[in-house]
Parts: sequence; structure tokens; C-alpha cells
Amino acid sequence: MRLRLPASPVEDSGYARIFALAAFAVACLSLLAYGQTYQVPIVAVVLAALGHRFSFARRHGERGFYRQVLIAGLMFAAIAYFVFDSIVGFFVGQLPQANFVMLLVAITSFDLKTRRNLYSSMWMSLAVIYLAAVFAWDYLFGGFVLAWFACLAGFWAASRLRQMGSFNLRLPARLAAMVLAATLFAGIVAFWLVPQPSAQPNGPLVISLPNNVSFHGELENPALPLVQFGSDPSGSNGSVDLHYRGRLSDDIVFYVRTGAPAYWRGLVFDSYRNGTWIATDSASKTYPSYVEARQLPPAEGAQLGSFVQTFRIVRPGPGVIYAAAPVESIYYPAAQIRRDAYGDWRAPAPHRANTTYSVVSHLPDYTPGALRGTTGPDISRAHFPAYYDVGNLSARAQALARSYVANVEPGDRYGLVMALTTGLQRDYAYSQQLGRVPPGTDPIDWFLFDVRVGYCEQFATAETLMLRSLGIPARLATGYATGEYSPILDQTIVREHDAHAWVEAYFPGHGWVPIDPSPGYSALAATRFPDRWAASGLAKLFPHLTVSAPGAVLGSLGAIAAGPALVALVAALLVGLTWLWARRRGLPRRARSPGQVALLQLYEKVQRRLGRRRAPEQTPLEYAAASTASGDVEELLREVTEAVNQGAYANRWPEPEEVSQLENRLP
Amino acid sequence: MLPRPRLLGALFLGGALFTYGATSEVAWLFLFAYLIWAAAIASYAYALWNAAGMRSGLRLAAVEPGENSPVHDLPEALFRDAPLPAPIFEGDSARIELVLETAGGQRGPARIAASVGGCELEAGTGLVPVSGWRAERTLGPLRRGSIEATALLLEVGDPFGFFRQRQRRGGGEVAAVMPLFTSLTEEVHVREVESVLTATRPGHGNELYGVREYRSGDPLRRIHWKTSARRGELVVREFEPPGLRVVGLLLERDPPFDEVADQLARLAASEAWDCIRSGGRVTVWAPGLEPLPMTEGRSLWAVLDWLARYPALPPDKVGIAPPANEVVGFCSRGGGDVDAELGRLRGRGVEVRGWVVGDGHLEVPHRRTGLAWPP
Repeated sequence: MRLRLPASPVEDSGYARIFALAAFAVACLSLLAYGQTYQVPIVAVVLAALGHRFSFARRHGERGFYRQVLIAGLMFAAIAYFVFDSIVGFFVGQLPQANFVMLLVAITSFDLKTRRNLYSSMWMSLAVIYLAAVFAWDYLFGGFVLAWFACLAGFWAASRLRQMGSFNLRLPARLAAMVLAATLFAGIVAFWLVPQPSAQPNGPLVISLPNNVSFHGELENPALPLVQFGSDPSGSNGSVDLHYRGRLSDDIVFYVRTGAPAYWRGLVFDSYRNGTWIATDSASKTYPSYVEARQLPPAEGAQLGSFVQTFRIVRPGPGVIYAAAPVESIYYPAAQIRRDAYGDWRAPAPHRANTTYSVVSHLPDYTPGALRGTTGPDISRAHFPAYYDVGNLSARAQALARSYVANVEPGDRYGLVMALTTGLQRDYAYSQQLGRVPPGTDPIDWFLFDVRVGYCEQFATAETLMLRSLGIPARLATGYATGEYSPILDQTIVREHDAHAWVEAYFPGHGWVPIDPSPGYSALAATRFPDRWAASGLAKLFPHLTVSAPGAVLGSLGAIAAGPALVALVAALLVGLTWLWARRRGLPRRARSPGQVALLQLYEKVQRRLGRRRAPEQTPLEYAAASTASGDVEELLREVTEAVNQGAYANRWPEPEEVSQLENRLP
Repeated sequence: MLPRPRLLGALFLGGALFTYGATSEVAWLFLFAYLIWAAAIASYAYALWNAAGMRSGLRLAAVEPGENSPVHDLPEALFRDAPLPAPIFEGDSARIELVLETAGGQRGPARIAASVGGCELEAGTGLVPVSGWRAERTLGPLRRGSIEATALLLEVGDPFGFFRQRQRRGGGEVAAVMPLFTSLTEEVHVREVESVLTATRPGHGNELYGVREYRSGDPLRRIHWKTSARRGELVVREFEPPGLRVVGLLLERDPPFDEVADQLARLAASEAWDCIRSGGRVTVWAPGLEPLPMTEGRSLWAVLDWLARYPALPPDKVGIAPPANEVVGFCSRGGGDVDAELGRLRGRGVEVRGWVVGDGHLEVPHRRTGLAWPP
């Protein structure tokens, strides 16, 4: 048995085609504005306009053989373009899949006969606008969304009106505008107020297809805040020198769209000597551009879920792939990427501007309760001595560490870490306006005992070494703090001054847990699903890393993701029905005279007594004439009918007394 | 108010966008999803409101006379009490007006469809203004008989096509298509000119015949004011000329074919026209069928209306042949009920004659004709 879709009608509405074309133009324009790909969108829109005109003129004609062959050939050419551009960057390699879709729409627009064809075209343009949405980092894109939706509404209206036999696109203008305005208002309010849930991601988003860049040779290596790089462009030979620190600007480094605000970890260092951090383990493993979860080691400890992040690089920089740790799966548009021994990721070449990559990260359960339940063996001191090495931490600094944890049980690792972290946050001040460390002075001693003011590297370094002095494995992590979060667009702008350093302490059974001793930051720098009430400015009142919303966490289970939307729908429905009810109640009613009410009630009684109701289409006279019997009730009916007619047509309703006299005659 | 498949598609699209937004962290997809769902809710409210105030109907707007229509040859005065907007004869075309009306402001979209006289008519619009909306459709050429509108459908919904409500009801009779007729005699009656001018409708003449209710067009001087005051409605005097000629038209009860019935109706209409134009009055009946009311005997339009419906008329309850000076029978076969009735009337001294369509034979003097018109 062949399963066939029901035939779709030929779309005769020219307006519907105009709206479909307009939707495509909006999608192309949005990609032009945000995807920064120019030639193909313009060419595609022009071709699509010609194609729509061609299709409309021939919508009732047969699909000719040669036209089909030509269209098929052009589609194969578009596929060839896609392959060449995505694999070898034949045409710069900028958004080849979006360009492919646009070309596909342009080509198929020469063969749009049926309504289903037009729907296909619309959905392809929706795919284009979705790709543009991935790159959209400002509110202006909302205009494109509304414009595309208006085109969809226009398409629906035009095709429906044509289906109903109307040849023009005339609607009650004010009412249609009210419906559209109500739609936009309700939609935007829902978008503004309803939590946007995070469901279990299917995997990283594939935005920019991989180019042919792989690891080879040496490349130009621009500076990265906090980290001084060596010759390897991937940054594996980088170091952090605490003797000096440059001034960090407000320039945007990258955008992140993420399910949960987190620390964007870049590089990890394990060895500290004379004020400089380096990474001693140079081992790494090379992966293809898309690394699936099964290719990576499983996350340690209990997990709350996972979330996806999409990064868009604004400023070119070293090929350090920032991501929330630990990573579950990753996609980066390069032929190869590397993962080092610390779980850091590196690209084979420096990031180009507009490079977009995505990551799915685990969200471990780093709640205090979970971390107190630490079980299992500690990290091996023999295999990883660097994590226990206090370097040249002075004796008085080690004594200071012991003083902070004097009241904590030695076996309570969480208590030890938190006591030390909160002690540093309490007793030391944070400042980025700090002079250079005097020559010959250890930066940590200078920070702890002389100036007592420091920046994040000094706090993190001090805490790392002090933890090690207490026998707790720790290391220095660098990267960027969460950045400036936009709750409406659910995205974060990360600027250069967000460059940050923090501590990773090892908790048996949980792995490396981020700890942030810098004042003003949460001591336990664990990522949490935030309250995703987009526009409740309340979300901004809470530090991103401390906000925990059980509902939002549950939302990550996926099925509950539909809950808020359903609630919003039901609420909107109730509001609508209430409005209708109130409107109906508010309509003025014609006042009835007492005699009218009494007479109509008597008329009803007479009908009941006769056992025969007046049919809706019968006039009172017809009803009375249909009664052939003669009796008191029939006689009364005739008089009542006469009275009803005089009331209805001459507005001469009887007095209640007259009606009661008639009623008395009812046997 | 029922959802259309498009609504399911829209909800599914919204769901897909929402799910994809939740898994991909592209917040704009949530906006898309909410907009689509909000559109569904707003559409439902709009569709309810639209359906609450929309009314539909259809009516005969105009008639385009056919080639053989007798309307060109009728005296103008006769049209004063003709059916509105114009009488319809066989072969004419009728322009049917499909009407949408709204209560309390502009509404739309709406569609109206009906089966009229066996033809499917439909029209739709997105905007129904306060003054109402009309679309004309042409029917024709028409056959004799009643034009019934059945399955009148009013479809209303929202602009996006998410919801639809269909209201069905019977449309009733739109018009009756009357038979063709022509003068069957070359004789010019002496009263013809007078009848055309002054006696084109019952109630004109010199001899008081009775009273009846006032009808539009009656001269005010004929109003019987005392009776009107007593009855609470206007009553006029009705007169008849002296020596009134009353012709009875007796038709066969069950013609074998529609074409035969049409021809019988044409012949009867022609005889009626000849009688009425000469100032006479006709009575029309068929054995077992309800006859034309006696009071309508001088109205050509009433006679034509009766003949338009022949033989689909309600059964006769009385069963008494109307009185007449002369009776003309119309039938397609001899020895039937018409033949017997004519024989009986001749026996009572009534002047009788007949018309036969086809090969039948009557016992009374008769003329024979086929199905061609004019005979």
C-alpha cells in the first residue's frame, strides 16, 4: 500500500505568493544583517521574485519535462556548491548551509504550484531566519521575527480568503489590526514573562560548517588577557605571570547563548614557580570537529542535566575554545580540535571573527550537601605531584592557611575549602587598579601580607597554593567570568574585562570543582540553571551563579518544558473568554414592559398546555392557524396571538392586568 | 466553532519551535512559538465574535428576459402588480444575489453557498461592511417551476483560517418560473383596450362584487372606510364589470413528462391571457389539486404563478369545480379525468373545448399540438 499525502490545491492567491516571497526576503535580510553573508541572499531574493512571478503565471499548466530537468540540475549545482564551500571553503565557506537553503528556495520558486509548495518555501525561509537568529545578539532581531511572522499571518489570511472565494485581500481593517496587535502583544508578553525552559539538548548546534584547517605549523598568536602565550598557537605553552597585569578593556570578546550562565574556562595551569603558572602536562588528544559524548570521559558525580552554549567570537584571538566545564560534547568549525590533559580544548588556528561554535556541557551537582558527601580516593599524589606542589609558598602563608581552617574538621574537605575561600574574600580587597609587584618580591606574599589588595589571579593563586599546603589538590583555571547577561535574549556578552582566574579543587567523587576566592563572586562557583523569567528584571538582581530555580531545573527534563507555555495559553484563553463574557454582559438590553413579560410568559404557558411548541420558523399567526381544534385553549391562543402581534409589530403591549385576565381563562 | 487542519499545523509548528528553542538555547524560537500560539487564541476569539453577528440570505436580484419571453409584448400597466423584481419566464436568466449582513460593525471573512435550482452557487469575502455585502450569480436559462434554494450554508471564521463555523439551513423558494404564453386567437376583444387600461386587476368595474383587504396600488377612493375602521385594517371595495366572461382552465392531473406539463401550462397561460386581456376572469384547476383561489381569477400573475407550480401543487381539500361560463381542458391523453370532467360539464350546459398535446383524443371539440412552442 502506498502512503500518499492528500493532493494540495493550486494556490491561486497572488497575495499569498507575495507574502511567501516577503517572508523569504525577510529571512535573507536577517541573514544579511547578522550572518554577514551578502552575495547569495541578494541573488536568491531576486531569483525568487522572478521565480514566483513565473510560477504564478503558469500555476495551472503542466510541469514540463525540460523545466523539471533544469530545476533538478540547478538543485544539484546548489548541492555541489554546498559541498565545495563547506569542505574546502571554495566560496569563503561563510554559512554554506544557509546559502544552500537560500539557493534552494530561489530555484524551487520557479516551480511553486500548490499551497503545499508555498508552505515548503515558507519553512525553508524559517530555517534561514533560524540560522540568522543564532547570530542575533541584539533586540533588533525581534523586528525580523515580527516581520516574518506578519508575512506568515498574511500568507495564512490570503490563502484562506482565496479558499473562501474572495479574490481580494480585504478584511475588516481595524479588527484585523486588533487581532494582529493582540497576537503580537500576547506573544511578546509571553516571551517576556514565561520562563524559557532548558530541555536536554540533542547535541551542539552545527552553525558554521568545518573548514579544512587542521593542526600544522605555527600561526600568528595575538595576546590573551591574563595568559602569556608561547609559540604554540593553541596556547598549550602559555603561562600566567603574576608580576604584572595589563589593563583590560571593555571590548567584546565573544557572545554566548547558553542554557545556564557559567565560567567560560579556557586554560588550566598546575605548576607555580616564582610568580608564574605553567601547565606541565603537554599530552593531548586530537578529535574531529564534532566530538560526541561517547568519545569523552563521563562526568564524575551526580549531574543535574546538561546545557548547550553557542559562542560567537567577536575579536580574533588564540585558538582556545572556551566552554563551561566539564564538556559533554562539542562542535567547532575546524578539521580537528584537541583536548589536553586538563580537559581544555584548543582549535588548530586562532579564532577568526564571527567564528561560531557550540558546546554541550554537563551540569554537575555541586551543591554544598552533595560536596559534603565526598567519597572515594583522592587524586594520586604519586601520579599528579603538581597538584600538591605548594611551589615557593612562604611558611607564613601556609600558617595563614592553617589559621583559616583551624576550626574545621580535617576530613571535611568542603568545610576546609569554604573556610579558606570565605576567609580570603572577607579579609582581602579586590582591585584591578594595582601597581606592579616590586622586583624580588614574591607576588603572593606581597598580596597576602603587604598590600592586602589583589586581583583575581592573586586570589586564585594564593588559594590554590594554600589548599595544596593543606593537602587538598588544586589548580588554577583561567578564562572568562559569565559576562553581561541579557535575560530577554538569553545571551551573554563577554568583554575583555571579564577575563578571570579561579581555583579548581579536587573533591573525590565529584572531580574538579570550581572555587572562586575573589571578593564579589560566589565562593562555590558552580553553575546552576537560572530562573529564566526572561524579562522579570528580578533575574538581574541575583548573581548568575547562585540563582537556583527548582522549576527551571525540572524544566531541563524536557517534558516539563511545555508546561509554562500551556499555562500561558490557558491564561490567555481565560482572559479572552472573560472579556467576551464581560462584553456580553455589558451590552445594553432593551427594557421590557411588565405587560410584555407577562404576555410572553402566558404565551409560553398556552403552548405548553397545547402540548405543541411553536417551530422557530413559524410566525405566531401560522402557529395559531395550524391549530384546527376548537376549545377554550385554542380560543385563548388566538387572542394571545393577536395581543403578541400587536405588541411585536405595533409596540402596543397590554397592561399586566389585561394579561392576568387572559391568564385566568386558562383552564 | 471547529478547528481546521491549519490550526493543528500551526500548533505543531509552535510546539516544534518551542522544543527546538528549549534544546538549542535560541531564545527567538520561543518568540516565534508564542506568536503562533497567541495567533491561535486571538483567532478563536475573533471567530466567535465574527460568527455571532453574521447573517446570510439570498434573493432574486434581477431577471434577464430570454428570446421568447412574453415580457416584451405585455402592456406596461400590467407590471404594476407583477412579481418583484420582475416576472421570470421559461428561458429567462435570473441573477441571484447572495447576501451577507452583519450586526453592529464590519465583520469577515465569510462565505455563503447554496444549491439554487440545482446549481451550486457560492461566494465569499474577507470584509462584510456595515451596509452588507452582496454577490450576484446568474442562473439560466431556467425551466418552468419553483426555484428552490436548498442547503444554504454560511461559513465564518477567523482571518488566518484556524477556525470555522458552518451554519446550514433551508433557503426556501427564491422565485417561480412562469410558463411562456402567447395569444391563441386573432380576435381583438372589444373590451381589450379598456381592460388593459382600467381592468388589469380584479376589483375594477362597475358592479360591487365584495370587499377585500387593501393591496399596494389600490386607489384610495376604493377604500371602504367604515369596514376598515371596524376591522382595524384597510379594506377596499371590489367591483366586477357586467357580463363578466369566466373561463375555466382544467388541466390534467398527472402529465406523463415534464415537457408535456410545460406545454400544457403554456397553453393554459395563453388561454388565460386571452381571457383576462379581454376583461374576463379565469378559474384554474386540475382534478385533485388545489385550484387557484376565485378571488385571483383576474390576476394574470396569480394564474401564471399557479401554472408555474403545476402539477406540484398541494392536494385539493374541497373537490368542487369552480364555476365558469366556458371551460377549456388541457391534456395529453383522451379518456382521462379531464375528458370525463369536460363531459360532465357539457352535460350541465357549460360550453367546453379542449387542447390535446400529443395523439390523445377528447370527446369534446379540441385542438391538437405537439411540444413545439408556439403551437
